[in-house]
Amino acid sequence: MVRPPSTRREGRFCAVFWDFWETDLTAPDPDRLNDLGKRLDELKTRQGARTQGPPPGQSSIAFRFATELVAALVVGGGLGWGIDWLFGHFGFHTRPAFIIVFFVLGAAAGIRNVMRAAHEINAEIEAKRASGDGNGKETGS
Amino acid sequence: MNLNPMEQFAVKPIFGMDKPLLQIAGHPIYFTNQAVLMVIVAVVSSLFLTLAVKPNRLVPTRGQSMAEMSYEFVAGMIHSATGEDGLKFFPFVFTLFIFVLCCNFFGMVPGSFTVTSQIAVTFALAALVIGLVIVTGFMKHGIGFLKLFVPHAPWYLLILLIPIEVISFLTRPISLSVRLFANMLAGHTMLAVFGGFVVALGSAGGILSVLSVAPMLLIVAIMLLELLVAFLQAYVFAILTCIYLNEALHLHDHH
Repeated sequence: MVRPPSTRREGRFCAVFWDFWETDLTAPDPDRLNDLGKRLDELKTRQGARTQGPPPGQSSIAFRFATELVAALVVGGGLGWGIDWLFGHFGFHTRPAFIIVFFVLGAAAGIRNVMRAAHEINAEIEAKRASGDGNGKETGS
Repeated sequence: MNLNPMEQFAVKPIFGMDKPLLQIAGHPIYFTNQAVLMVIVAVVSSLFLTLAVKPNRLVPTRGQSMAEMSYEFVAGMIHSATGEDGLKFFPFVFTLFIFVLCCNFFGMVPGSFTVTSQIAVTFALAALVIGLVIVTGFMKHGIGFLKLFVPHAPWYLLILLIPIEVISFLTRPISLSVRLFANMLAGHTMLAVFGGFVVALGSAGGILSVLSVAPMLLIVAIMLLELLVAFLQAYVFAILTCIYLNEALHLHDHH
């Protein structure tokens, strides 16, 4: 995590650019650094898994379910159409049969997708709650 | 005055490059505004990330801190979704996340172009992810990777369930790409529509001109929301990549 301070100052890409990004720090005082490190570690253990990403919002969950469902229908119908086209190529006229069958299968796959997505979101929320309960009192949130 | 809200998504050759760059199998290849933005994103993000960690300070500078935070964010994400052995995909997922994130953010700059609002771009990214998942799965498990499509069920149900699982798998690149594309498209269209209201009200004259402040304020709010969406969608894209990679690595372990 903590790296030794760099003394290399040559080979800069653009000094002006770096003057903007670097606050002018003189050689760090070891006591202050240790103290800072300790405080940072403390904060990190307190915050725990809070940095793992934003919680999924209502609309993003709804949108996810909708796309999963519709995409499965499109893929199912498309596959059925393709198979019918292939059979038609060899002289078997099955035209609507496979589209119907695969459209229904696609609907089933869509529901399977939504169930799986719900599982993932539940697991995510559950994991967040578990990490939140462990240190909820200290962070006061 | 151009008030068409979809105009901003038009892909066209950049100014002064009306001639095709090269011809591939008779198809002219242009250097478009989309290509320009992608080049800018790739150059700026890689320059920023490499230069930001260059000082290598103990107490990081702002730039170094941003680079380190994004590194730890993605590493934590991969670790929590796929475990220890997923970390060898870190370069791929990190590049993907930063690219999508920067494309979304650069698209927020007024007058620029949102690369991720093009289904061609997002589908190419999603196809890359699924391609990697398939290659990884077959390299790790050989033909046993196909067990991913065989749920635990009696054999007479498998006849029905295997096609469903296959369709469900084929759905992934589509839902992955459509989600990113539709979110960016919807947000930017909404911004342009409200921008049109401002112009229309402002040029109406009288009391209506004063009212044009209302949609203006709304644009500010939507802009903030869009910044959140820009980050959230990049995050969702990356975390779903991790989840799919996890399934390729561990098959049914986690169920």
